[in-house]
Amino acid sequence: MTAAQARRVVWVHGDSLSVTDPALSACPDAPALFVFDRPFLQVVPVAFPRLAFMYQGVRDLAAHRTGPTEIRVGAVPDELAAFAGAHHAAELHVTRNFTPDFARIVEGLRAARPDLRIVIHEPERLTSFDGPLRRFFGFWKKVEREVLHGEPAPDFPRRGHR
Amino acid sequence: MTDPVRLPLDLPDDQLPRVLGEALAGLYTGEPRLPARAGGRTAGLAALHAWTGEGYAGRNFLGGNVSRLSMYLRHGMLGLREVAAHARAVMRGRGRDEFLRQLTWAEFYRLVLRQEGARVLGNLEDPKYPARWTDTLPDDVRGARTGLPCADAWVTHLVRDGWLHNHERLWFAAYLVHWRGVDWRAGYALFREHLLDGDIANNALSWQWVASTFSNKPYFMNQENIDRYSGGRWCRTCRAACPFRASYGELETQLFGTQP
Ligand SMILES: Cc1cc2nc3c(=O)[nH]c(=O)nc-3n(C[C@H](O)[C@H](O)[C@H](O)COP(=O)(O)OP(=O)(O)OC[C@H]3O[C@@H](n4cnc5c(N)ncnc54)[C@H](O)[C@@H]3O)c2cc1C
Repeated sequence: MTAAQARRVVWVHGDSLSVTDPALSACPDAPALFVFDRPFLQVVPVAFPRLAFMYQGVRDLAAHRTGPTEIRVGAVPDELAAFAGAHHAAELHVTRNFTPDFARIVEGLRAARPDLRIVIHEPERLTSFDGPLRRFFGFWKKVEREVLHGEPAPDFPRRGHR
Repeated sequence: MTDPVRLPLDLPDDQLPRVLGEALAGLYTGEPRLPARAGGRTAGLAALHAWTGEGYAGRNFLGGNVSRLSMYLRHGMLGLREVAAHARAVMRGRGRDEFLRQLTWAEFYRLVLRQEGARVLGNLEDPKYPARWTDTLPDDVRGARTGLPCADAWVTHLVRDGWLHNHERLWFAAYLVHWRGVDWRAGYALFREHLLDGDIANNALSWQWVASTFSNKPYFMNQENIDRYSGGRWCRTCRAACPFRASYGELETQLFGTQP
């Protein structure tokens, strides 16, 4: 490890179960952790096959990366804090998702480990659209060209200015 | 705080239900068993590469060739971009455009979740008809004992496969919300429990689309529609008093009180 490169760990969550996940790709050698969220699963019913499907996802990514991967059951912020501590990490890398749980867990971790730098990678997008949304039809009109042809639409129409 | 439980990461599939089942005791519903489709990027890529999209234009038929990639997309095992690139490379014509448009619904719902946050778990808009919904899922629905062969099959497929064809999801949602008068959140919770692809964005927002709290009108079907798109699967031998057997106009008046 160079002085410039802080020790890192990666948090792998249920929306990023692939070796191609942006946070994992940014830190191929860093220890990574997936946690089955005990407090969440205690109140939200989930049938077993789904949890097995996720386990298979973590198993597969573990087999395809150079860094070590771990899987635990517990409260996610606590497990992440302990994992970062055990690896003397100064940074934790993760790929953002838009669920309310993600924000809650990141807050919990910040509270538990204010010294840990949390680096959030942006998830992959299909389109480059960033405006407000209301109905699919209006959205589709804006992104149709980009999605069908695989190239970004020009930012603004060039013609028709008054 | 309970002691952390660490799991080995090299469990073969035949030991997985037992070992994972013990480690997660009390944290899941149903029996510990393997999912109908194997998880992981390797399995997802194999499914993607095996899929040619032949005949996707008939995707609304239960027998139509849909990709069944949703559970891999949901967990990030596959990315929307690589699936779109595969479709652009191997598919042709109307089916190709239709598939890319469906993928775009998934992106749209993710972005709506980003915009609205936890609000997607409540009505985003008022329903477009005078709705009085109850909160709880009726036992006969959960137990696949409604007496309607189609409705019972939708629940059975959901629980058994962890996946339902889009049209079955639509029919079931319309049945539950409009015919049974159940709040969409009860259906959302049942789907979240069993779907391998169950997530917040696609699941909650699709239910809201059917319920008309995120669309301009409620979605509903009639018996002809079920018969046609299921290839007569249930209707041909059905003896039940069919609540769906009427014209769209009649059902509209019956269910929503008006013809918009
Ligand atoms: C009430 C209800 C609940 C739903 N809940 C979920 C859910 O929890 N998770 C989920 O991924 N999808 C959900 N859907 C959307 C859709 O039914 C599934 O994505 C689709 O059936 C998955 O099958 P497939 O992969 O073969 O789709 P394909 O037809 O092969 O489409 C390819 C991909 O496009 C996306 N897609 C296709 N149709 C839709 C759609 N109508 N809305 C959003 N994305 C779509 C999916 O990512 C899908 O994998 C729901 C639909 C309804 C009506």
